[in-house]
Amino acid sequence: MGNAYAGQVLRVNLTKGDWEVEELDMDLAERFIGGRGIGGKILFDEVDPNVDPLGPDNKLIFATGPLTGTGAPTGCRYMVVAKSPLTGTIGYANSGGYFGAELKYAGYDVIIFEGKSEKPVYLSIDDDEIELKPASHLWGKTTTETDALIKAELEDQWRAGDTRIACIGPAGEKLVRIAAIMTENSAAARTGLAAVMGSKNLKAIAVRGTKGLRVADGESFRGKVLELVDVFRDHPAYGQEGTMHVYGTAAGMALGNVAGALPTRNFSGGVFEAAEAELDPQVMKDTTTVRPKGCFACPIACKRISKTTAPGFEGHGEGPEFETLCLLGICCGVNNLQAIIKAGFICNEMGLDTISTGVTIACAMELYERGFLTEAEAGFKLNFGNAEALVALTRKIGLREGFGDILAEGAYRMAEKYGHPEVFIGAKKMEMPAHHARGLQGMGLGYATSNRGACHNSAMMSSAEFPAIGTGTITEGKPQLVKTNQELMAVIDSCGLCAFAPGVLMPEGILLLFNTATGLNFEWEDLMLAGERIWNQERLFNLKAGFTKADDTVSRRMLEEPLPDGPAEGNVLRLDEMLPEYYRLRGWDENGIPSEAKLAALGLD
Amino acid sequence: MTRIRIDYGKCTGCHHCETACSLSHLENIVNPKRSRIRVFTKGDTFCPVIAGPFTDAECTSKLSVIIDGQEYDECTICRASCPVKPVFKEPDNGIPLKCDMCGEPPNPQCVKWCASGALTLIES
Repeated sequence: MGNAYAGQVLRVNLTKGDWEVEELDMDLAERFIGGRGIGGKILFDEVDPNVDPLGPDNKLIFATGPLTGTGAPTGCRYMVVAKSPLTGTIGYANSGGYFGAELKYAGYDVIIFEGKSEKPVYLSIDDDEIELKPASHLWGKTTTETDALIKAELEDQWRAGDTRIACIGPAGEKLVRIAAIMTENSAAARTGLAAVMGSKNLKAIAVRGTKGLRVADGESFRGKVLELVDVFRDHPAYGQEGTMHVYGTAAGMALGNVAGALPTRNFSGGVFEAAEAELDPQVMKDTTTVRPKGCFACPIACKRISKTTAPGFEGHGEGPEFETLCLLGICCGVNNLQAIIKAGFICNEMGLDTISTGVTIACAMELYERGFLTEAEAGFKLNFGNAEALVALTRKIGLREGFGDILAEGAYRMAEKYGHPEVFIGAKKMEMPAHHARGLQGMGLGYATSNRGACHNSAMMSSAEFPAIGTGTITEGKPQLVKTNQELMAVIDSCGLCAFAPGVLMPEGILLLFNTATGLNFEWEDLMLAGERIWNQERLFNLKAGFTKADDTVSRRMLEEPLPDGPAEGNVLRLDEMLPEYYRLRGWDENGIPSEAKLAALGLD
Repeated sequence: MTRIRIDYGKCTGCHHCETACSLSHLENIVNPKRSRIRVFTKGDTFCPVIAGPFTDAECTSKLSVIIDGQEYDECTICRASCPVKPVFKEPDNGIPLKCDMCGEPPNPQCVKWCASGALTLIES
């Protein structure tokens, strides 16, 4: 056992049904940190970027970070990496919950799945005891059913209670391109990696670990955690009385509306009439929230356990997140809170990305409203605001049933099928999250240049552009800000921390936790350089996969149609003002290709 | 008398207390399975349980307890390190674990790391 790292990589060959345990290459760890960094590097080294994402030659990598499971605040995350069946780029999806920590306690930083199993299987890990078990009886089961059934197979309730499961639902099995890998209602949601898992006939991973982890300097590490927990406890957003703890991520709703940055009716506008009424987070708190829930080692606890009681939408589960409310709700013009939450529950059960699912349904609604799609084809009167259709279609997407089979391909492929690809809103074929690219120029640049398509977390520009309303429409300085934030988020994602961690930990907390846990003696610049290395490594994968400068863009609506409402009214995304400078700052040529000097400086030559 | 007050209503299930306990008792090791506090989940409720006495015999009576409509197997919320439970024991050798309030005077680290307010220190 090393420090902070578990020190082992588990490589599973699903075609042969065997596995081997390898030592974690510590040189690799120092250069790529962990999680997204190590996962991306393994993918680049071992997978041809032109591989069929849903074929046996793609690999599916689960990678934790060095701070995952150490007790560092928010240190719970794991990253899933594979070539994406949605975008064709490198795909990565991050999840909280308890799975990542448990995997490390069992002794593994990374699992690499290769090949394809002949029959459905799940991987069982109990410290050193590893087994591929039959999963035909789990095939077709929802994610919570799968979780319960696997736990029921274990010999006692205590063992079951300690076992953490990451699995796919029906959506992943049916190769839905917007499917999410779930662990106890936390989702590794984006880029459709559950479909890669489904293509390998891998239903789930169940893990229990009793080995624990070693940190290099326990006393200093504990002292720093204690100091940070005190900051979290009284923090206006993250503390016990803080908005994120009290309301969950939905706390951002009013801010999004005031900024005019909401994805109203397939991103045709930026404000939504119900955002500060039916969809106000206080309404949610008073009517549907059962209690807050925290991921492993999280002092914030922004997750919600919720219950819906409205006739036709009864349910129990987790969520909704801000993104879920916005995309399943506002993007579809739906103001019925309980219907949105119900649709979110269904996404969790089916294993679907709520962002992509919402945008895809919204895209179908726009096609319908503009007469490009008929009621006969859709099976519904698909007008914006139709809550019943939202809930019914969500389930149909997960099951690839009827019209849902077409939506299961994602918004881009659906819109193209009906002859109107311009109705798709996103980047690199991935659906856009709930932050407008027109009022928030940096966010737009982030979407255009993200290595996995339209992603709000790759540059986390919401925290930079939301609080200061008025600066969102400015392009000046944004290329540098986006570049820096992209590298910071690569560090966060690779350490195993949450996207909300920087708000309290930056930068001294992250550095101290990293150094005292790993025993490495990094400067902040070393971590950020690793972030830049990770970003460029991902870029190289995409370039090899055939992506070019032409793909560093977003849907035409963002670039050509002025925002009709809100404080950013009249704005379009002025990408051409920012992209050349962004390339220059990155040390890339005018075609977005990294220079030899840059690659040499990053050790990627 | 110093006590740890546990409020199930506030626990968010983040298990941070388990990492605090193991790190403070084992110096450089974080391992919830060796922690003297464990958080168990029952329905929508998270139940922090702090290791109490060791017993070498299983209970001869079994209880179910209903609190606010939620039924608990009493073993789930019992503090004992006992033969029927693998918790509150060293995973490798079965040596029982018991909360020691992190020494004298009491300074329990689980309470210090608990951001939700589920664990507090009180005098009574």
